[in-house]
Amino acid sequence: MSIEICGVGKRFGNFVALDNIDLHIPTGELVALLGPSGCGKTTLLRIIAGMESADSGNVKFAGAEATHLHARERKVGFVFQHYALFRHMTVFENVAFGLRVKAKTERPSEAEIRRRVMDLLKLVQLDWLAERYPSQLSGGQRQRIALARALAVEPKVLLLDEPFGALDTKVRKELRRWLRRLHDEMHISSVFVTHDQEEALEVADRVVVMNHGRIEQIGTPDEVYSNPASPFVYQFLGNVNVFHSRVHGNWADVGRDGVDKMDNTAPEGQAMAFVRPHDIDIEHVQVAGGLEAMVQDVHAIGPLVRVELAHASELIEVELTRERATVLNLVKGQCVWLKPRQVKVFKVAETALEEGGSGI
Amino acid sequence: MSAPSLRMATAEPRWLRWTLTGIGLAFLFFFLALPLLAVFYEALAGGWSAYLQALKEPETLHAVGLTLFIALFVMPFNVMVGVAAAWAIAKFEFRGKSLLITLIDLPFAVSPVVVGLVFLLIFGAQGIFGPWLSAHDVKIVFALPGMVIVTLFITFPFVARELIPLMQAQGREEEEAAISLGATGWNMFWRVTLPNIKWGLLYGVILANARAMGEFGAVSVVSGHIRGETNTLPLHVEILYNEYNAVGAFASASVLALLALVTLVAKTLVEWQMRRETETLDTVLPAEAVRSKE
Amino acid sequence: MNKRVLPGFGLSLGVTLVYLSLLILLPLSGLVFKSSSLSLTQFWDIASGERALASYRVTFGASLLAALINALFGLIVAWMLVRYPFPGKRLVDSLVDLPFALPTAVAGITLATLYAGNGWIGRHLEPLGLKVAFTPLGIVVALTFISLPFVVRTLQPVIEDIEPEIEEAAASLGASRLHTFTRVLFPAIFPALLTGFTLAFSRAIGEYGSVIFIAGNMPLISEITPLLIISKLEQYDVVGATALACVMLAISFLLLLGVNAIQWWAANRHQGDHQGPERASQ
Repeated sequence: MSIEICGVGKRFGNFVALDNIDLHIPTGELVALLGPSGCGKTTLLRIIAGMESADSGNVKFAGAEATHLHARERKVGFVFQHYALFRHMTVFENVAFGLRVKAKTERPSEAEIRRRVMDLLKLVQLDWLAERYPSQLSGGQRQRIALARALAVEPKVLLLDEPFGALDTKVRKELRRWLRRLHDEMHISSVFVTHDQEEALEVADRVVVMNHGRIEQIGTPDEVYSNPASPFVYQFLGNVNVFHSRVHGNWADVGRDGVDKMDNTAPEGQAMAFVRPHDIDIEHVQVAGGLEAMVQDVHAIGPLVRVELAHASELIEVELTRERATVLNLVKGQCVWLKPRQVKVFKVAETALEEGGSGI
Repeated sequence: MSAPSLRMATAEPRWLRWTLTGIGLAFLFFFLALPLLAVFYEALAGGWSAYLQALKEPETLHAVGLTLFIALFVMPFNVMVGVAAAWAIAKFEFRGKSLLITLIDLPFAVSPVVVGLVFLLIFGAQGIFGPWLSAHDVKIVFALPGMVIVTLFITFPFVARELIPLMQAQGREEEEAAISLGATGWNMFWRVTLPNIKWGLLYGVILANARAMGEFGAVSVVSGHIRGETNTLPLHVEILYNEYNAVGAFASASVLALLALVTLVAKTLVEWQMRRETETLDTVLPAEAVRSKE
Repeated sequence: MNKRVLPGFGLSLGVTLVYLSLLILLPLSGLVFKSSSLSLTQFWDIASGERALASYRVTFGASLLAALINALFGLIVAWMLVRYPFPGKRLVDSLVDLPFALPTAVAGITLATLYAGNGWIGRHLEPLGLKVAFTPLGIVVALTFISLPFVVRTLQPVIEDIEPEIEEAAASLGASRLHTFTRVLFPAIFPALLTGFTLAFSRAIGEYGSVIFIAGNMPLISEITPLLIISKLEQYDVVGATALACVMLAISFLLLLGVNAIQWWAANRHQGDHQGPERASQ
């Protein structure tokens, strides 16, 4: 079932949680709402689920008006960050709940309920826990039960609010892959909220990047990562080096040196150049369009080597492969030349608004 | 906010909300507010002068004095033993702890009449110590000492009950830090423990005090109802009421009702204070906390 | 046992145990000791006498009714105080404790006056054929008053602690509000309701001060057990009073144990010994 969100706005007192959001989620897609805390992503998810009412705009399910539909009539499955399992019910009864509260005419028989619940528990590989209570399960098990419970009513849409947020890294990775498989098997539309860019990029078909109650960019994981629409997206989706520069025609001045300007759409004037740490090469000899810098520190981090360099007053971070680092054999205090492979330039007017993110 | 708003998943329909609020408020009105109003209405039924006249009766004044005396007398005992019990239970592990907690609750469960009878059986004329006491001319039952003892019995749990959960929640780290910094036991208690529990302690004392002033059944059994001597205010209310002196009975009752209102106000203020302190503790930034210590 | 870091364990526990023993345990065992002068048959004859049996019926019947009324209305009041906004809420919230603060004798004479044939409430009930004051119904009214705060005060924190996600989960699974209440919310608050009910019941059984003014105190009809103890004392029947007091004491003990059992059950009913390795940390 497709979801259509048109002009949805929501305020909490003076705080604008959502500002005129338009979003179309086609049938069968797995969409991630990605953004920092307070960006409105959870509010948007709760509005889709009918747990929060929008101040303006409307929500359509499969083209049909759903803005004023009560949560129980929306037929969406909702998975909560802290699971929200019914603690006085066994795992079996938790999953059966949605079937048992159906109107008499729609309610499946006891045998049918039993069969469907056990099928779902097998699907989440926890059928051996059917008679346990939630307090006897681990966090990862609870989250899988919460998912099975949401799926029991055969929802057309599955909504997940930071589904892996409360779990530790290893379990989180495992469940992520498992969610992807599950989504593909169930043929439903899924929307999940996360603040973890890696999670969004790995799992989703499409990523919706949000900030300050607005959508910054919608695109495939590859699109939003390699072609960010705004400085915010650039900074939010990974480490980044920011250069203050001036754009002249086809060139962007960075410091005293010129850097190739690859993005031809960038306008004239004061600008900022963004370069990912792994998009910079280090050479011992001067290269055309290169920047001179001094090596400050070298850390080996797992498969990568992170080099911190000083260029004028700016600190620049570069990530090299181990092989490349071995070849270069960098030492502290050494002067080298930097050559960005890929640069993205944004006008200062846009960038001035955006502070923070994970860049330098 | 825009017009046709969606009903939240966690709310009842409006008609039901209003109905339930109506039922709840009506119940509280008939069972709490109306009786409270009636006390003052009946007390003033004969006009102000009759009311004041009734209060000025020497026996009434004596009853007020006796009630306050007993309440004040038991307070230090309750504080000391309550704090001691809470300290032992909240800060240490030992066998039989849950049994001890249950035993502390016992006075809440026993009927006041039974409490009175128990002390009558011990100190009364035919009681266990009766002959010995009368031989030495010591009067406990049908005299002030007996009334104090039953009040101690009845009010024993209040302070400890209030402090045990509070002190358990606070843990023992602060006290351990004080000891590790070289504080003596008394230093630790006055400077660390007491400031942390002061509002909880006050809360317990307020509740115990209300009960001490209002106790009827237990005191009634051991007082002997000697007018102008062993009559507390609640007992005095009974006597006047049984003599069909409604104005007198309700005048005395209104004094007790006023004390009850004072109790409620004090209790509410202490509750606010406790809530405010836990809230500010949660919101103080580490930096500010450091600065304020300097 | 290890050496304890904090001081005062011996002193505080010693003070507590001595005080508890002298003031409470020894006197109560004195009661049992005194009643042991009776033979078992004598004890049984007193404890199951006609008047005694009638007084149990009145005491337990009225207490049960009062506790039930409080369970029902206490649930509504607690729900209303936690969930619904209305003007004067804090005032109403403070007023709930009035029965704890107001001396029972004051409650007794006031309720008797209110519900008497010419009282503010009795005046309207009597034409309907409903006599409250000086009947067993009056006892129910008095007991409802004095035990009113128990259910409300036990339920309030529990209702406050219900996570809204639980209700949202139920709604998103298609449950109606009624289903959500009966299947999700009520089971969650039931142990607290039961605790509050038992506390109210236990308090009501021992109550004396407020009841005697409104009950009429007719032997066999509206005489409660505590009053029967008093009247036996007034007739210098100390032995009879002691036997009845023993019965009351035993019941108090049982109810106290009952409350403890309910709380233990509520804390442990859904906790297996198996704890997951990575329990969610909020």
